[in-house]
Amino acid sequence: MKKWYNVVAILMATVIVVGVFAIGCAKTAPPQPTGPITINIGEPVALSGSASPWGQIPTPFREAWFEVFNKEGFKIGDQTYNIKLIQVDDQNTAEGGAAAAKQLIFGDKCKFLAGHWTWNFSAISAVTNPAKVIFVTRTGSPDALPASWKGAYDAKTMPYVVFGTPSQDEFTFNCFALVDAFPNYKKLGLLDSTVGKGGPGWVVLQDTLNKAGVRWQSEWFAPGTTDFAPIITRFAEGGCDIVFVAGWIGEYMAFAKQRWEMGYKDMKVACSGPFVSLDMYKAVVGADAFEGAIGAYYDNSQFKKTIVNPKYIAQCQEALKIAAEKTGKPYAYTGEIAWLPSHVLILVQAMQKAGTVDDTDAIMKAIRGGTFDTTIGKWTMSGAETYGSPVVFGTPACLCVIQGGKEVYLSEHPMEPLP
Amino acid sequence: MPPAGIWVDGLVQSCIYVTMAFGMVLVFSILGILNWTHGQFYMLGAFVVYYAITAAGIPFPISLLISGVIVGGLGMLVEKFVIERLSVPGYGMLYVTVATLALIFFFEGAAGMSFGLMDKGMATVLPGVLDLGSFSISYQKIAVIIFTLVIMAAMYIVLNRTKVGLAIRAAAQEPVAASLYGISVGRVSLIVMGIGCALAAMAGGIIGPVYSVNPFMGRIPMIMSLLAIIIGGLGSLTGAIVGGIILGLLNSVIAYKISYFSEVALFVLVILILLIRPQGLFGAPAK
Repeated sequence: MKKWYNVVAILMATVIVVGVFAIGCAKTAPPQPTGPITINIGEPVALSGSASPWGQIPTPFREAWFEVFNKEGFKIGDQTYNIKLIQVDDQNTAEGGAAAAKQLIFGDKCKFLAGHWTWNFSAISAVTNPAKVIFVTRTGSPDALPASWKGAYDAKTMPYVVFGTPSQDEFTFNCFALVDAFPNYKKLGLLDSTVGKGGPGWVVLQDTLNKAGVRWQSEWFAPGTTDFAPIITRFAEGGCDIVFVAGWIGEYMAFAKQRWEMGYKDMKVACSGPFVSLDMYKAVVGADAFEGAIGAYYDNSQFKKTIVNPKYIAQCQEALKIAAEKTGKPYAYTGEIAWLPSHVLILVQAMQKAGTVDDTDAIMKAIRGGTFDTTIGKWTMSGAETYGSPVVFGTPACLCVIQGGKEVYLSEHPMEPLP
Repeated sequence: MPPAGIWVDGLVQSCIYVTMAFGMVLVFSILGILNWTHGQFYMLGAFVVYYAITAAGIPFPISLLISGVIVGGLGMLVEKFVIERLSVPGYGMLYVTVATLALIFFFEGAAGMSFGLMDKGMATVLPGVLDLGSFSISYQKIAVIIFTLVIMAAMYIVLNRTKVGLAIRAAAQEPVAASLYGISVGRVSLIVMGIGCALAAMAGGIIGPVYSVNPFMGRIPMIMSLLAIIIGGLGSLTGAIVGGIILGLLNSVIAYKISYFSEVALFVLVILILLIRPQGLFGAPAK
């Protein structure tokens, strides 16, 4: 019996030794290739409230564009990166903006916020700058202008802000584009709500138009106005044959409809911003009254004076096609082309120049004064003197006109670099 | 002198304020409360008309009546289950005010979620304009004026020539005495709330094609109706009509003369009226 115990013990010891030896000699599996790393980019955007149509309608295109972009992604060295967009509703309010920024930065760990257009620049930048998060936004709201224009932007205290869309200057250059399109115009009417009256943006605009010799007349309406007959009459009596409306969608539609009904059918009406939904405008304004309407235009395949990289034109066309497939109907809204995709391409190219996706100081250094090739063309960041830092991108300032119920290219007046 | 088109446009504005203010005063006369949700019933009425026309193909005039019935019914539910229950001695007025203020956001939020936030248009309803030489007016705006005349005539008949109208006037003047004569003040309150909300709904429905329909469209008309009531006199139906007319015409003329300053001028006027004659033009002095 003792002999069998000895045999079993020797056998077990042999198995253990051989097993350990086999494990030690086993070849390690070859390392698996790592896939793309995902970078989170946050977007505080109005998804509720009266401004939400501008936040919701671009969603199909936005999602489709990221789908197309992430097929290739972008590379730094041998590492490929993809982008994940995280949107949080900012309700177009200061409180909502601050809350959205905090959620994106501290909850979703975003080091970049982009695509921003709502009227809460100060509230959001107050969160992003201390956190060293790069905030790509637009100029145009009263606080998103430099101190030299009596705005709230300060390059020293806000070193992580980038003005990826120069809305302030776009409005000015859209005025020039209108004058280009209608050189025999009599007078340009400018209409905005009293929220912006006397604000720094309007002072700068009026000075610029005066220097350029543009004939203009400005009128203001109280927020919530639906009856524009008195203002239309004032414009008509002032000799305005083109009126550029800087208000919200409802106000533009009301103005366009009422001027038609009052008999001022030759008064051209332009809106600052792209047409959100052609069907909506036709339903509210009337198909006849809407014909000839003018709006901002971002179909980069149609630009005549601004050269856009064919790769980005193709990406946008593919994204529009995907958006149409997802929504099950033709998708014509091109406004988003100038926003989030352009902002993201600025960030991506800056990351590539800086050689990092984490060091926001290095990335900002690459952005300041840098030249970037995006969905709306190649522009160099300007504004060193005006804004205190060269962080203002450019724009084609392109306009379309409604013909046969569709948007057709009208004119373009590419923005000149800011001093 | 402003051109004729400005006066006509002001008249159209007046029509809406008259209809809204009339409904609010009616409710105030019986219930003793200002229904802050009045603007939202105006908005809901516009949506009912919109969907009745576009989704169900119901003719515009019938859609208006349907909106009055549906939203009037909703108003009665609000009166029965919110206002009546909160109208307790002591702080009842405060509770009702807070509740109707809260309902503003509830109805707007519900409308936004149900119907979406994009503007909805009815430009194809009564299209075209009538050219009157120096100005033209759309058939939609003509419809607003005709509608208001018809509604005011109907309300005159109901209030002065029917038993229901008699009961309403009695309850408004002396609710205790009216109840002693067998008039159910509670039932009259319900009917009046229904009528008031129906008027707001039909006002929203008739103005829908003129502008556009969205969940926030009731806010400004509500404020303007309140101004009309203050000018005309709280509690006075005649005052609501006169106040609405004055407000609409003034708003249009002042806006023509001094543009955006019209809003400031109107509020200054209201303050002056409150200082000089707080009961308004036709209201009874406070006892």
